[in-house]
Amino acid sequence: MPKGTFITLIGIRVSKNHRERKKSFESTKNVTMSSRRSRSRQSPGASRISDDQIADLVSRLQQLIPEMRNRRSDKVSASKVLQETCNYIRSLHREVDDLSDRLSELLESTDSDSAQAAIIRSLLM
Amino acid sequence: MCNSTMLKQEFLKKWIKGLHIYNNLNKCVTISDRKKAIKLSADVAIASTRKAATHWSKALMDDVVSRDGNNIILVQQILGGGQNAEKNNSGLITCSNRILRRSHNNIMACRKARRRVVPRCVKSSSIARKLVKNKTRVLKSLVPGGQKMDGHRLIKETLDYIVSLRVQVDVMRRLACAAERFHP
Repeated sequence: MPKGTFITLIGIRVSKNHRERKKSFESTKNVTMSSRRSRSRQSPGASRISDDQIADLVSRLQQLIPEMRNRRSDKVSASKVLQETCNYIRSLHREVDDLSDRLSELLESTDSDSAQAAIIRSLLM
Repeated sequence: MCNSTMLKQEFLKKWIKGLHIYNNLNKCVTISDRKKAIKLSADVAIASTRKAATHWSKALMDDVVSRDGNNIILVQQILGGGQNAEKNNSGLITCSNRILRRSHNNIMACRKARRRVVPRCVKSSSIARKLVKNKTRVLKSLVPGGQKMDGHRLIKETLDYIVSLRVQVDVMRRLACAAERFHP
């Protein structure tokens, strides 16, 4: 992948019914300052990754996020999906941190607890 | 879901193993020491369930190693655990050298100025484009190794990363609840 290029997603609308899916997707390749081309909106090289694939990925992302799972009937913009994704990842990070706090208080010592760990393991499996 | 359960079990085993290894290497006295041990082992464990097949897991391992060079032993043992140690030793050493080198390269690469192209036209489509670009930038900062990925790969990695994070949170939460039952 050449440095300084990236594919930008623009206004992807995702609806539950894939037959009605409107593909208003435009990809623009931006190159580095040193070798700037004129702003061409449609790059033939970008069709490597199809509209379908990206829209499919975005819809899968949408299904993963709890708040957005119910909104499939509406058309959701890529920007909203990305926003919710970021919020979700941040909340997961926070939870990991909180749980580490809780566990560090609960597990009195994390080294010699093989008996306790074995019991807990048998509980969880 | 059978797959998810297996993943959780694998994570739990590696996490507990990692905790033991970490404690053999580092002394954990205070609560914050313990928290660091727990979090680090959990991160290494969840990354290792992907067996370096995804970028985020590799980037996470790199990050762990670059934080403290001693962590490489932990990473080595979790990645190569359960197999013939002598046979894999040379493989692991080259792998770990590669990880060290890569984390050095990452640190150097971060110092390069980030190029930004500002759109000049003020149409609504460019506003939408700007919004998505901004969100993508934030996402890149959240997913390990995200800075180097383009839009397509970033989303694929994000999908995998979110699934793994959920496994991590779920197992940690259950362990915390179970441990709370032991400590009335």
